[in-house]
Amino acid sequence: MKPPPFAYARAESTADVLELLAADEDAKVLAGGQSLVPMLNFRFARPSTLVDVTYVEALQSLERDKGHLSIGATVPQLVAERSPLVGSDCPLIAQALGHVGHVQIRSRGTVGGSLAHADPAAELPAVALALDATLVVLGQSGERTIPAGEFFQGPYMTALDDTELLVAARFPVLDATRTAFVEYSRRSGDFAEGAVAAALTFDGQTVSRARLAATGVGSGPLRLTAAEDRLTGKPLTEDAVEAAAGEVALEGQAYDAGARAYKTALLRALVARSLRQVMR
Amino acid sequence: MDFLEHQRKLFARPGSGLGDRRPRLEDDRLLTGAGRYVADVSLPGAVSVAFLRSQLAHARVRGIDTEAARALDGVIGVFTAEDLEGVSPVPDFPDPGLARPVGAFPLGRDRVRYVGAPLAAVVAVDRYIAEDAVELIYPDLEPLPTVASMDAALEPDAPVLYDGWPDNLVVDVPADGDSDDAFQRLRTVSGSYRMQRQGAAPMECRGTIANYEDDRLTVWTSTQFPHIARTMLHYVLGIPERDIRVVAPDVGGGFGQKSQVYAEDYVVAWLARHLKRPVRWIEDRYENLVGSVQAREVRIDLEAAVHENGEIEAVRGRIFQDLGSAESFPNGFNPAFVAVGSLTGQYRIQRQHIHVTAVATNKTPAGAYRGFGIPEGCFAMERIVDRIARELDIDPLELRRRITIRPDEVPYTAPSGAEIDSGSHLASLDHVIERGKAALEAIRAEEHPPELRFGLGVATYVEGVAPTYFGTTGHWTAQDACDIRFDPDGGVTVAVGVSAYGQSLRTMVATVTALELGVPIDHVRVVMGDTDSAPYGLGSWGSRSTIVASGAIHRAAGELKDKAARIAAAMLEAAPEDIEFVDGRLHVAGTPDPSVSWGDVAERALIRTHLLPDDVEPGLEIRATYDPPGIEHVPREDGRMNACPTYTNASHAVIVRVDLGTGDVSLVRYIVAHDCGRVLNPNIVDGQIQGGVAQGIGGTLFEEFPYDDGGQPLATSFMDYLIPTSSEVPPMEIEHFESPAPGLPWGAKGAGEAGIIGPAPAIAAGVEDALAEFGIAEITATPITPRVVLEAVRAARGAAVTA
Repeated sequence: MKPPPFAYARAESTADVLELLAADEDAKVLAGGQSLVPMLNFRFARPSTLVDVTYVEALQSLERDKGHLSIGATVPQLVAERSPLVGSDCPLIAQALGHVGHVQIRSRGTVGGSLAHADPAAELPAVALALDATLVVLGQSGERTIPAGEFFQGPYMTALDDTELLVAARFPVLDATRTAFVEYSRRSGDFAEGAVAAALTFDGQTVSRARLAATGVGSGPLRLTAAEDRLTGKPLTEDAVEAAAGEVALEGQAYDAGARAYKTALLRALVARSLRQVMR
Repeated sequence: MDFLEHQRKLFARPGSGLGDRRPRLEDDRLLTGAGRYVADVSLPGAVSVAFLRSQLAHARVRGIDTEAARALDGVIGVFTAEDLEGVSPVPDFPDPGLARPVGAFPLGRDRVRYVGAPLAAVVAVDRYIAEDAVELIYPDLEPLPTVASMDAALEPDAPVLYDGWPDNLVVDVPADGDSDDAFQRLRTVSGSYRMQRQGAAPMECRGTIANYEDDRLTVWTSTQFPHIARTMLHYVLGIPERDIRVVAPDVGGGFGQKSQVYAEDYVVAWLARHLKRPVRWIEDRYENLVGSVQAREVRIDLEAAVHENGEIEAVRGRIFQDLGSAESFPNGFNPAFVAVGSLTGQYRIQRQHIHVTAVATNKTPAGAYRGFGIPEGCFAMERIVDRIARELDIDPLELRRRITIRPDEVPYTAPSGAEIDSGSHLASLDHVIERGKAALEAIRAEEHPPELRFGLGVATYVEGVAPTYFGTTGHWTAQDACDIRFDPDGGVTVAVGVSAYGQSLRTMVATVTALELGVPIDHVRVVMGDTDSAPYGLGSWGSRSTIVASGAIHRAAGELKDKAARIAAAMLEAAPEDIEFVDGRLHVAGTPDPSVSWGDVAERALIRTHLLPDDVEPGLEIRATYDPPGIEHVPREDGRMNACPTYTNASHAVIVRVDLGTGDVSLVRYIVAHDCGRVLNPNIVDGQIQGGVAQGIGGTLFEEFPYDDGGQPLATSFMDYLIPTSSEVPPMEIEHFESPAPGLPWGAKGAGEAGIIGPAPAIAAGVEDALAEFGIAEITATPITPRVVLEAVRAARGAAVTA
């Protein structure tokens, strides 16, 4: 459980990062290290150079930006969780972060690290999907933005190119929206056995827009569109909750029959609970 | 000797502190980081070892190419089986009529039989380089068909793990259950119960550091039994025992996993002698999860012959144990016999006939884990009692009361031959039933979300303690020893053969020594864990330490006091039989003044010997051994055997909360009535119970070592091997009952393992109780995962609909 040899480079700016990544095709970005360092110790990951981005100031901002909340890639998860700005603008983020690991992990782990690592049971990718976040990415040819729906491409796979750096995640600040994050894990602090991020926008009593995203139940974060459709345009009642939960299915996911039955039952229960939390 | 009178004097003595909640002597050192574990042993010039381990579950070793690894900068050497000159296979002690010998060799030579089996050792200047070099070794392995489960091992055409064996049975001891007419006369109830593979996962992994200097080998190793380790190093390396010193420094948990001697221990010791320099190997967590022994994987098929009032007349059946590759010392099959020996617990059952079968599979070898077969047997027994209750329509708690031995039936001979000497069997059961029922009622009266259900589960059992080391190790004994030595200033050094790994043995030994001799506890220094300074003992396992250490100290103190009385009598011009020992001083009975101190006596015995009476030899020190009474070391002709001097008992009640949405099982209340005889310090016993229950909860709900069909282990880090955290373990409500062991000087019974036995059967019963409204949602196996719970609900609903 000792890592293979690697070089360490500390970047001072985003330009530094891009240069270092371009110079070495086996270089890998190091942020909080909560997933990468164990993978190094198991020798599952064998980067030649670790590019430490935690000293790059441009990645550390957390600010309101024209109707969006922008969270820099290296903002620690615990800082985001406890930020009053996050609490007022995008409470779903804080609700989800409470389920990420333990306090010690969240104080080192970063928002950008979790998104870029794309663990199929991680919380933040589901939040990004539920809120229609945009990922801001910097590469050799400049900045580009990727919608969350296109960013996550499978377990540990994203639309990020090897030479690109995730700079920030931009979350739209939604009016008249109530959110909930419900998770079940085997033990406190574990990755999700299943979790649901819910964001419902209301027009009076009527649900005008429903967003439900799940994690831990497949190859990556999943939008639950059939359940969303059941909710949209109606008041959020107990019947609507039951009907939405009943729409949940996991056909596309690679489970055996027993696991599929369990995960489906679990996800239905979590969808119902997340919606009941929104109702309260 | 009337031990009860002895105990009354000890426990009633003002200021003895016995039975009080006192802090441990270990706390300051261990809690402030001053402990010294094996990884803290720092020797100048030490080099590090990393092992190449098999990535195949079953393969023939055709060759190992080490050239590239040897060439790496910083590598001192690479060693395979053929390099281990002078090394013998690990002896197979058991009678070949009982078990087939496996002839394990420390590094894989002809075959490897599990993923993780060591194939080669790299020695390098540090562990980083050693691990780099491991990647440069190219073993030429020919894959062989894999036996990945107990069921697969028992197939008639299964691949066979050992050359020349007709099948994979390591042990097969049939029982004659057919001749018992109870199964024709009476109603029979049967069931098949399984426990999954799990293990100890101590906070400190294993580790061994060795040095060879002045023609002597010194081995620091994280072990529970330094003397046994020394004996095994002697057998395998061919070095006389007098030229080996084994030291167990502070040990960060053992739980049985460290009452084994491992391949790495032999190899590291051999390397130190071969290279003539200190060699260091510290196990990492991956290695611990694939290379240290695992346990518990059994199936127990039971059939009970029952009367209509629920009384069980006889049980018969078969236990199957998965031994993994079976390459372990002591052998991994012993828990199967203990499961049989303890099966009927405190229930009034006349006869049992259990066939014992233990099979080899291509998995990590099985070995010791806290509980050692008793949790497995108890789970099966308690589960079938619940099934009997259901079939006879008797309340399961009332049935347990009905078949539990009453106080007037104790001492009681169990059908296995166990002589249950004492206990609070019915009283402890009544205690937890009453508390459990009240707790459930209170919780159900509160308001809860509609998807939650609550249930009460109870389990009760006895645990044989301080057993004989019978058969499987070649050591037919339960003995241990102490040396007690006075200094001229009156200070006492006591050296014992038991060895601490977190159970407060230093506190126990100092307490017992101080009170037996009547000296202040801060005049007592305790020595253990070092074969050069402690007398030969078997170490600590089997909940034996307090029993054997207090027995030896009691004997030693008696002789020392006789001698001191003769010296003091001369000083006080009195007769030796009139001398009394009070608060560290000796005086004539009834005349507290004048008196002499232990220091005065010791000074005269050691450095003013010309003043001694003519018939008193100089010196004030003694060695005493102790073999606990009443033990049979070998089974009788009918297979029955009493392997222990006394029996701890306990009852557990748990309130479980089941979430019908997620299948989650969480524990709301946990109630324990525990009887380990005389309690010297309730803080320490509570700690043992809490730790044992926590591990039992882990094994019931979370922990599992699964393997795929190719024998690949699927839980190789703490991401997948889920040990419970403080969030999953409820506070425990512990009540101590005290039934002194009549045959033991201190009346104290072992407490190390009892906590881990109750959780599986109690939680399983609690889950069934919580789900009762859906029909029969029966739990017959562990772990009880969320998926298992939801499937049980679905099956019960389905059955209810069909019915």
